[in-house]
Amino acid sequence: MGDYLLAIFRRGEKAKRVTTSELAEALKVSLASVTDMIKKMAQLKLVRHLPYRGATLTRRGKKEALALLRKHRLSERFLYEKAGVDWDRVHEEAHKFEHVLSDEVEAKMAASLSDPTTCPHGSPVPTREGKILAELSEPVTELGDRTWGKIVRISTDEPKLLRYLASLGLMPGVLVCVEGKAPLGGPVMVRVGKATYALGRDVASQIWVKPEPAKG
Amino acid sequence: MPLSCHDNLIKIREKVTFTVLLAGNPNVGKSTLFNRLTGLGVVTANYPGKTVELAMGSAHYTGGPEGKDIAFGVVDLPGTYALGAVSEDQWVARRAILEHLGDLVVIVVDATNLERNLFLVLQLLDLEFPAVMALNLMDQARKEKIVIDPQRLSQSLGIPVVPMVAATGEGVPDLVRICLEVLNGKQGAEHRSPIYGDDIEHWIRRVVREMETPPECPRSLAGHRHRHRFRAHSNPPEFGDTLLYGLSPRALALLLLEQDREFLEEAGKMPQGGAILNLVQTAAREIEARHGEAVHLRLARERHGLAGEIADQVEKREKTRPLLSSRLYQATLRPWTGIPILVGVLAAVLVLMYFVGGFLSGAFGTLWSAYLSPAITWAFTGLFGPSLLTRILLWGFDAGIQAALSVGIPFVIPFYFLLAAIEDSGYLNSIAYLADSLMHKLGLHGRAIISLVAGLGCSVPAIIGTRVLTTRRERVIASTLITLSPCSARTAVIMGAVALFVGFGQALGVFGIVLFVTLSAGLLLQRLLPGRSAGLVMEMFPFRVPKLPVILSKTWHHLKDFLFVAFPVIIVGSLVMGWLYETKLMWRLVGPLRFVVESWLGLPPIAGLCLLFAILRKEMALQLLISLAIIQHGAQATNLLTFMTKEQLFIFALVNALNIPCVATMSALARELGWMQALSISLFDMALAVAVGGLVHQAWRSLS
Repeated sequence: MGDYLLAIFRRGEKAKRVTTSELAEALKVSLASVTDMIKKMAQLKLVRHLPYRGATLTRRGKKEALALLRKHRLSERFLYEKAGVDWDRVHEEAHKFEHVLSDEVEAKMAASLSDPTTCPHGSPVPTREGKILAELSEPVTELGDRTWGKIVRISTDEPKLLRYLASLGLMPGVLVCVEGKAPLGGPVMVRVGKATYALGRDVASQIWVKPEPAKG
Repeated sequence: MPLSCHDNLIKIREKVTFTVLLAGNPNVGKSTLFNRLTGLGVVTANYPGKTVELAMGSAHYTGGPEGKDIAFGVVDLPGTYALGAVSEDQWVARRAILEHLGDLVVIVVDATNLERNLFLVLQLLDLEFPAVMALNLMDQARKEKIVIDPQRLSQSLGIPVVPMVAATGEGVPDLVRICLEVLNGKQGAEHRSPIYGDDIEHWIRRVVREMETPPECPRSLAGHRHRHRFRAHSNPPEFGDTLLYGLSPRALALLLLEQDREFLEEAGKMPQGGAILNLVQTAAREIEARHGEAVHLRLARERHGLAGEIADQVEKREKTRPLLSSRLYQATLRPWTGIPILVGVLAAVLVLMYFVGGFLSGAFGTLWSAYLSPAITWAFTGLFGPSLLTRILLWGFDAGIQAALSVGIPFVIPFYFLLAAIEDSGYLNSIAYLADSLMHKLGLHGRAIISLVAGLGCSVPAIIGTRVLTTRRERVIASTLITLSPCSARTAVIMGAVALFVGFGQALGVFGIVLFVTLSAGLLLQRLLPGRSAGLVMEMFPFRVPKLPVILSKTWHHLKDFLFVAFPVIIVGSLVMGWLYETKLMWRLVGPLRFVVESWLGLPPIAGLCLLFAILRKEMALQLLISLAIIQHGAQATNLLTFMTKEQLFIFALVNALNIPCVATMSALARELGWMQALSISLFDMALAVAVGGLVHQAWRSLS
């Protein structure tokens, strides 16, 4: 059920509702088991389910999801910093941790890491109260044409893509400007320094920026 | 790891005194420089399991000591933004450099975009390989009022910098002369590595010290620089030689700190590997704790910072009014202006293919039948008399060559001219940007749209044109779709058989079904073929004025490729068909074909033969049908309706449109994708044609 909560939460960052088929694809399970689980979760008042339209998290579901996310990202940080697990493997490993971690161990883990605010990939760790601090950010695809934004994080689990983007100068802390968007959900043109790149929507939607006031 | 086709490369390396590797970002004119330096005899090779190719050729320099002629080899590495080995092209470029495929790296840099280009330069300097910078596109930089001080740039990087224009040849002799000087030790001795932040430098020193401490095994990698020649059979891996490419300790330390997977693994195999890896992990955590980001990000940030600093010091940019070309460029990107321009350009491609291609085709055909065909007929008849052999040979050397002259070549010339102009000006990127979402649905990249449209004229240049696509998967999908879309010859059959005898609406129906089948095949292949189209990350840059010599040389390169592959295939194919026809063996094929042709497709058996023989040239299906019909039914058979129903004509044209491509197309497929792939695409097309034709026949019967 935890996987479902997180999957709905992640999708919810981009779209309003998550359809059952999207969930089945994301979790690599059958449609039938998604429908079953959604029903169960609806009974527990974790999700609101609108037939044929999809599911959204309830306030309670969101709280649970954020708690899990906190455990996941804390575990990632812990595995990376204290246990020396490779940077690109911590995501999978932390996935096992998030389900078995008690609140007590979680608190100790956070203390031993002196309350980190981000996971090793740069995504924010929700606070114990279930708040995401860097919530003002949005994917670069949401910026209007000719607007500037500062990259806050890049939310991909693909280490190769992260490195590739970094070699182009697309990394947290860098100012970018949206130069245009192609029609029909085509690529987004992003300027960084003196270079301009066309980024497919799938790539661009993982680059989170904080809008910056107009510049030069 | 040996490259495939390495024999060719070894042959070139044996003949030359030294070899340079051309490295650089995409679109900086690397290939233009390569084509300018090298002549005929360019070979390509790839590492096993990798599809990205390396091109290698030999070149001459006449300005040697005492005017001696010096032969040198040139290898064109794939264009990359970095050497981090995160993609196949980066891996190939890095591996070629590390394996000492060349003695020197010439790093080609776009003078109009120095800052971004310097990132790769810095990474290369970190590897501590002898290098020379070719500061290309100086003409464009002058136009944009960008002034760069090459001396200062050279001083801050510690490598020679040669300003040049690859397209016109300006500065190219200087480049070669300086490469020679570097190799002879007269220049470039001041080579130094970029210096990073204090803590990173501190950790580099510590890792280097760890590497240099002699472990149990005294033969460590330090100071162990082998010239690693390219060998057909590599000797058993020797420590510090094949494993770590004789890298300097500093270079290796940086790669390890960057958490480069490949090198972490290799370093683990070193005698003192465990200690080094532990130290590197500690360093990674320390640096990360300090800067709040992973080391590789930190290093990338410092490299970008350094690149920006150097660029600021050596270049002056004057504020100018945007050039006309850059305003035009902006217009091609805005949907409201860009889409009409795109439609216009695609229409121009099609018109050019139809009219210029059609005109050339007619002209070549007329010239051939007026002058060369009689001469060849005379020669063969003179040699062998009016025998069977003569008739078969005439199929191959008269009809066959005429087929090549009227199918591939006339269309390759205008299409390549236009494609080279589009590619060279940078407009291809605007197209890719606008059409990406549409093409993505078919598992393709935006650039594929040009080839698909060109395929409506002739499949041959369209298939060769799929080279602008980066992955093999995309090229296979695009090529298959091109073989399915109706080229001008197949359109002629549809018009001649269906529009003329059945009706214009029905002809449109054939096109509709073909379009539907092509799109479905695209969706199907997108699902079936392993892998997925990678997320698009593509640099956009303003237009440059395309240079006629560059366009002409590209057109010639493609035409030459086609000639070498297509001619033998077409002639052999024609001889086989001539033999089947002249010995009347083809009539025996009627029997086995009968089941498919008569029962499943509902066509007369001779129509099946025509479909088969249309492999030579697609429009032959109709010509042959009429001539065979006259043999069987007498002169009134020119009206096809005397022996075929409207339904049969419809299915005939449809199956011909979808059926296996012509011989010229198959040879183009084989040239681009290999014989296996050419064969499987052909079989796929045939199965599809028979299946769709049969289904239409069954549907037609049940409806009437």
